[in-house]
Amino acid sequence: MADFYGWKGQRLRLDMTNLTYEIEKLPMSHYKKWVGGRGLNSDVVYHETKAGMDPLDPAAPLCFGSGPVAGSFAPLSGRTTVSALSPMTSSVMGMDIHGHGDTNMGGAFGPAMKYAGFDQIIVKGKAAKPTYVVIDGDKIEFRDAGHLWGLGAKKTTIKIVDELGNPDVRVACIGPAGENLVKFAAVINNMSAAGGRTGMGCVMGSKNLKAIAVFGDKPVTPAEPETFMKQAWALREKIHTSPSAIRRHAEGSMDLFDVGNAIGINAYKNAFAGFMPDIEKVYGGLQWAEKFLFRRKGCWSCPVSCGRYTLVKEGKWAGYHCGGPEMESNCNLGCRIASYDLAGVNVLCGVVNDLGMDSISCGAALSWTMECFEKGYLTEEDTGGIRLEWADIETSLKVADMIAHRQGFGDLLAEGNVRVANKLGKGLDCVPHCRGLEHISVDPRITMGFSLGYAMSTRGSDHLKNYSCLEFPGCAKSRAYQIDEIFGPEGAKKFWEDFPKEMTELDTKPVLCTWSEKNKCVADLVSCCCQAIGSWGGAGSWNEAYYPLFKSITGTDMTADELFKVAERVVNIERAVWLRNGSGIQDDTHVDRFFDEGVVDGPHKGKKIDREKWAWAQQEYYKCHGWDDYGFISPEKAKDLGLDEIIPDMEKGKEICKKWLKSSKKPTTPVFIPEAFRK
Amino acid sequence: MALKEEKVIVVDPDKCTGCHSCEMACSIKHFNKCHSYLSRIRIQEFRDVNTFIPVVCQACEDAPCIKVCPMNARVRLDSGAVVTQDDRCIGCRACTYACPFGASVVNPENGKTMSCDLCMGDELGPWCVKACTMQKALQFVRAQDAARAKGRDLAKIIAADYMPPKQDDGGDFAFSFSC
Repeated sequence: MADFYGWKGQRLRLDMTNLTYEIEKLPMSHYKKWVGGRGLNSDVVYHETKAGMDPLDPAAPLCFGSGPVAGSFAPLSGRTTVSALSPMTSSVMGMDIHGHGDTNMGGAFGPAMKYAGFDQIIVKGKAAKPTYVVIDGDKIEFRDAGHLWGLGAKKTTIKIVDELGNPDVRVACIGPAGENLVKFAAVINNMSAAGGRTGMGCVMGSKNLKAIAVFGDKPVTPAEPETFMKQAWALREKIHTSPSAIRRHAEGSMDLFDVGNAIGINAYKNAFAGFMPDIEKVYGGLQWAEKFLFRRKGCWSCPVSCGRYTLVKEGKWAGYHCGGPEMESNCNLGCRIASYDLAGVNVLCGVVNDLGMDSISCGAALSWTMECFEKGYLTEEDTGGIRLEWADIETSLKVADMIAHRQGFGDLLAEGNVRVANKLGKGLDCVPHCRGLEHISVDPRITMGFSLGYAMSTRGSDHLKNYSCLEFPGCAKSRAYQIDEIFGPEGAKKFWEDFPKEMTELDTKPVLCTWSEKNKCVADLVSCCCQAIGSWGGAGSWNEAYYPLFKSITGTDMTADELFKVAERVVNIERAVWLRNGSGIQDDTHVDRFFDEGVVDGPHKGKKIDREKWAWAQQEYYKCHGWDDYGFISPEKAKDLGLDEIIPDMEKGKEICKKWLKSSKKPTTPVFIPEAFRK
Repeated sequence: MALKEEKVIVVDPDKCTGCHSCEMACSIKHFNKCHSYLSRIRIQEFRDVNTFIPVVCQACEDAPCIKVCPMNARVRLDSGAVVTQDDRCIGCRACTYACPFGASVVNPENGKTMSCDLCMGDELGPWCVKACTMQKALQFVRAQDAARAKGRDLAKIIAADYMPPKQDDGGDFAFSFSC
């Protein structure tokens, strides 16, 4: 067998129906095509499912992917990707159309998979009763999880670690939300590190799989240890001396609150208001740390340790402690519901996480209900007597629990906002989403790279697919050389001419987004953190930070260009999962409200998206990818990427897409689709 | 009598974030590969309360492991580090039982024991300490300074009661000065 070094050369397939497993050896060619983590997963999600398949079908795969750098001395290398068809997402063509779902979590699960000897774990089937799986190297055991069913993530983890009597074991599990098939249920590892988006916990629950506990004694061995050590130290030194990394360590990702509000981009009131007054004074990282920081928390081998552990020291919730929060949790369970009660928000974050829900989508469910009450769309009659008003933490806590256990009105909210609004026939205009997944905290009317990124993202509205951080003035200034690399001399000149207004314009964004999504993808492929090449960015670009480590740990002869090409392949195959269902240009867009209604307050008051420019940016973005004007992967592009097999699927998908566009069918939520395509 | 100049690794568990960088550094330094089991420093985790205790050989002045070793394989180096000499060690693990910290561990590759050798004079210093630059849960200091950082941190709390009112002329030097 060839020596795989950073790779383990094999993956584990678990059959939950028959409680059996198979260890599958992988050829080097497979790694060269998909590299690892998100790449290995997206291959399986496309090729082992079919168009129209129900994500909760027992035959649908759930994949845990680790990359070649995971579990090593390289800093930032503790990430794990969880992928499956997403039960959460949908198309404007219908609620039963689902796309590629994936979520990336920190913690230590991926490294532990490597130590057990696996680059990937694929779960299929459905167990007859609640089960958890113990992986100790090549010894795989299916155990009864009846006694764990109903428990939160933290208790589940503690019980499993105690049962196995091994503190080194790493557990990825679901909470009550996953068990009850809440559409936005999360997978939680290491007690509180969440893989939240797109409902991967729901898929895990549908397989009656409560948890996977993994450990092993197989080390990660670099192919060129001397070179690898030098590179890893160089990257560590870069982190130790990077002001943005030092700040991230001190303040956590909440360091973004004041930057965010300075340019006016923090979600407020269901993410439609755009600017929250005085946000940084309450939510800022230092202010938060002073009141609530118990201790910092690091992912595997990460010196930045931006994770937090909360201890509420006084007031109503004094004594409560939990893992987290990070910026998005606090923003979506705090600012989004208009609360300034940070202690309460922290508790809400802890509770939602422990119940095993995506804090973004859960915050969106709460804030949607609040806006609907404010607008009179909902009354107590709809909610079984519950009235949810802005900033009401107590009731939010109650409703979060109802969602996770699917009780009363919570059962409805557990379906995700788009489905609820469709079912009730009201509040459709109050759902800020793309592809059925609600927006994160950044307003899509202001920073247009993020905006385009939400719409084009293969997981629905989320920034961590198309992570175009270079549009933020601070990032661009500190990494000016990357602007040259991306745009070339002419493009860079234009970029700086428009700077810093450039952030709020679409002009440069198709090019920037196309590069950024591949940049981010490389981090997911090798299982490293995207923040280091994104928001705080002190590690440089993918090419500086991760390619050298990838090369020395695997000893591969792949060039940097080849690695970047894999990233492009992965972006394409993930999109192909949507495209084969007919979801193309009609879903690459935003809800009408962002084109019609300006930002309520702040430095960008009144700003909205221009329809004409949006239509231009869509087409430009497609051109950057070599896709056609409906956003479909052309046969030439498919061949170029070595994805010849998807060509028939693309043809069928395009037929469906065109047929729907030409029909008089209304989209499930009011979104902008350029007129030319509806004729 | 001359003052002792040896440096020691000082641990501050309150600063440890449980990232295991130190273990990865130790393991790759000594074995060219990465696994916690190959590390001479181990993070004992109490994850439910986010508390992490780095456990590493403290090179005790009156080291029980040296006394208990039946083969005299536990020896003190000039650097002050107390290590196992592989050619004498018979893998009886007596030192692991005698160590009050559990810092002498078994090398899974040869069954003999191993403990921190302070990276044998490597120009970077002990790699675990270097890897903890950001967190500062590990520091490499002269033995006589071992308590100094902690003493100062604690004194800051007491000192707060003795400070003049805060002023804007940069007068808070007592807090900004770090040892």
